[in-house]
Amino acid sequence: MASLIGSYSLGFGLFFSVFIILFSVRNLRDTEILDKKIVSFTFIQFFFVVISFFGLIISFINSDFSNETVFNHSHTTKPLFYKISGTWGNHEGSLLLWLLVLTLFISIFLFKSNHQPKRYRIFTLLFQQIIIIGFFIFLIKNSSPFNYIFPTPNEGLGLNPILQDPALAIHPPVLYLGYVGSSIIFSSALAAMVTSYVTKEWAKHIKQWVLASWVFLTLGILLGSIWAYYELGWGGFWFWDPVENVSLMPWFALTTLLHCILVLEKKKILTSWAMILSIATFALSMSGTFLVRSGILNSVHTFANDPERGLFILIFLFTLIFLSIFIFIFFHSDKEKIENNFFWLSKETSILVNNWFMMYFLSVILIGTIYPIFLEVITANKISVGPPFYNKLILPFLIPFLLAMAIGPNLNWIKSELKDKFYMIIFLIISFLLSAFIIKQFNINFLINTILVSSAFFLFFSTLREFFAKRFKNLSQNIAHFGFSLLILSILFNNIFSNEVITNLKIGETFKTEKFTINFENIDQEDEKNFKAIKGKFKIQYLDGSSDILNPELRIYNQPNIITSEADIKTNLLTDKFMTMNYVQNQEYFNVRYQVKPFMIWIWISVILISFGGFLSFFKKRYEI
Amino acid sequence: MYGRKVKLRFFFILLILATLALSIFLLIKSLEENVIFFKSPTEIKTLSEIGKQKIRIGGMVKKDSITIISKEIKFIITDFKNEINVVYSGVVPNLFAEEKGVVAEGYLKDKNFFFATKILAKHDENYMPPEVKAALEEK
Amino acid sequence: MKSKLLPLILVLTFLIIFVIFFKSLKSSNIYTPNTTLEKKIPSFDLKSFENNSIIISEKIFKDNEYYFMNIWASWCIPCKEEHKFLMELKKGGKIKLIGLNYKDNFKNASNFLKDLGNPYNIIVSDNDGTGSIEWGAYGVPESFLVYQNKIIKRFIGPISNEDLLEIQKIIK
Repeated sequence: MASLIGSYSLGFGLFFSVFIILFSVRNLRDTEILDKKIVSFTFIQFFFVVISFFGLIISFINSDFSNETVFNHSHTTKPLFYKISGTWGNHEGSLLLWLLVLTLFISIFLFKSNHQPKRYRIFTLLFQQIIIIGFFIFLIKNSSPFNYIFPTPNEGLGLNPILQDPALAIHPPVLYLGYVGSSIIFSSALAAMVTSYVTKEWAKHIKQWVLASWVFLTLGILLGSIWAYYELGWGGFWFWDPVENVSLMPWFALTTLLHCILVLEKKKILTSWAMILSIATFALSMSGTFLVRSGILNSVHTFANDPERGLFILIFLFTLIFLSIFIFIFFHSDKEKIENNFFWLSKETSILVNNWFMMYFLSVILIGTIYPIFLEVITANKISVGPPFYNKLILPFLIPFLLAMAIGPNLNWIKSELKDKFYMIIFLIISFLLSAFIIKQFNINFLINTILVSSAFFLFFSTLREFFAKRFKNLSQNIAHFGFSLLILSILFNNIFSNEVITNLKIGETFKTEKFTINFENIDQEDEKNFKAIKGKFKIQYLDGSSDILNPELRIYNQPNIITSEADIKTNLLTDKFMTMNYVQNQEYFNVRYQVKPFMIWIWISVILISFGGFLSFFKKRYEI
Repeated sequence: MYGRKVKLRFFFILLILATLALSIFLLIKSLEENVIFFKSPTEIKTLSEIGKQKIRIGGMVKKDSITIISKEIKFIITDFKNEINVVYSGVVPNLFAEEKGVVAEGYLKDKNFFFATKILAKHDENYMPPEVKAALEEK
Repeated sequence: MKSKLLPLILVLTFLIIFVIFFKSLKSSNIYTPNTTLEKKIPSFDLKSFENNSIIISEKIFKDNEYYFMNIWASWCIPCKEEHKFLMELKKGGKIKLIGLNYKDNFKNASNFLKDLGNPYNIIVSDNDGTGSIEWGAYGVPESFLVYQNKIIKRFIGPISNEDLLEIQKIIK
């Protein structure tokens, strides 16, 4: 029943697009004010999508297996929370969520843009409707979440247990808020070009959207990363896997846009650049969806794929790209020469430098991600690009980037001088000595690591000082930059100081290293609602006499029949102790991995700080950057 | 004044071009070094020389071939035509099992021995890595 | 000159990217779960329909022989419709039919076969529906064409005359 309602309201929703477009086009010619009907229609469309979405949620809660999506992804023994999150844990449901957010955002946009020119608002709505219609058709024609099965099966196939995790349950919605937010930026940029509204006012207006999407995207990536760390048991938080890269690319484009908009808000320069970035952010979000859903990426994260779906997204994506190229070429005029003079040492330049670096990082990731696809088509060679590629290309350029980031925010607009040279030199020396001292303790490549760590420390100290020097005047930016320095420091220390032991142990066996011994004491079996748990008990004895007990777990899920590992992690402010246990077929040995990962929690904290910075500036009325 | 401005701009453009050239050079070089090729056991047998590069081998884990000696795990990857012995010490994914698809990453010792540094597994139990599927279909 | 060249390059670049993506889409040997083509058949051990002995799937399916595994039930009306095609298929003799009796009552099922004829070489009963879940079946009726221990084709819902002709063509 709920499915039926959901299915019909999708159709009605699509139907309203026709009205919206009809009235919008008519409204363009007539009066000076926006027709109230258009706003109402947009709300009604949103309302229908909400009903449809709730229809799917209710089908999931009631375990209505006459619905194909529910049958494929749910099971009666699943906890309620995961029944609900199962709604968007699959292809069809996640697309419905996309659509929901799309319609929600355009409604909010209309609601919040009262003071903007009418033509600009209508064009934004029209461009957004193109995207919305595309998703409607895709949903109804190609991946309907409401397919009916007869006769009704008694039991569903279950949700992949590895997806049954709180972080992953909210990861897609948050990430989508970021992705879809970029669709508003995209539509609005196109509309601004068509109506010649690429001005400071536009920048002020769209900045809210840029900030909001940026915060969501940042948090979305963080959640995915946390999930990978806790659930996959690989003992890392980022693997440079194509699917992960695909979410990072729009982030880079969006971060660049955010900085670019800050300039545009002050002076009408870099307009073309801002337009290109607005288009690129959305195009990258969409290509992410395409690459993930079509399955042409060779990734360790798998999704149910279907070439036909891939084809639809591909054609849709390139229609939008060509549309925006067309608009960019024919409508965008580059009349900014008048204001285009600033001294080489100024805030403008520093933001430009930031943009170049961001673009460089973005291109590295883009090339690393799609190069294998190109090579396979052209030469039929199957390859993958490993993490060293990214490390090698990104790390050296991180050094000047961090230095510029420390100096840039202290500069003035148009023309500036280096202020506080004294502090700068002091910080540079302190950072260098400090990092040299730390790195010396370890047997690793001295030069590159010292320089990297010292530039990160330099940013750390500079931003820390800014908190006091500027008396919290520019708190949001300061927090975000401070968070970034903390992030880089934590990642570096995490990489440098990590310690790992991988071995195979039988029950009762002990493994010795120089610093500690691992004793596999026993295993324990527990029956849960939808899985059987095998808990291992490991005692880790350190040289100084202290010891830890860790209980990693193996879970044997009944529906579908899958074995997963649950890592046991002991977290404190300084380090994480991480242990996983894996099952090896037909052997009495268990594959055991023990890792000591310093500053793990600070990686999460610093990303939260970064997004909190963005969140704060959302509430700020005036900007003094 | 004017001359200086032009000079500055010229210098600026030169700087950009140099940076661009440098980054493209770095990119291509790094890409060449870090590309990991994918091979099936049959392709290994027909190799003319054993490179020192990291490669990936995909196929099925042969039945009854997994053995564990303390730190090391040994098994055989087969594409039902040719086989290769793999020695591995490291994390074994839960989906790693006999008669299931596997992708191992590492270095070749010779045409019969492979030192794996990583075993890849996917989230989906039904999953067969695309390369493995292609390699198995080719036979 | 310059202003015309730039758009051209842009459009061309994206066209190339499109073509590459398009080709990779076509050539990609991705795993598609819903067709289950060439997938190894799931194993089961279920009770025999006639007597209560256990039948293991490995014992039934042999290489080099075609099997038609049909999920049916006496309460299922479309099953009656497709029954004549099953009888037809059996006549050809080149294929073994395996019946999976889904959540059925023995008496009704026996009467069903008595009235319409028994096309199956082997029948197993799937009283709790676990067998059909293993095969990823959507409902009743549903059939799988098996060869070399692999599902070559899957038929959701009752088979039609065209399906029958197709099967006969394959097993030739």
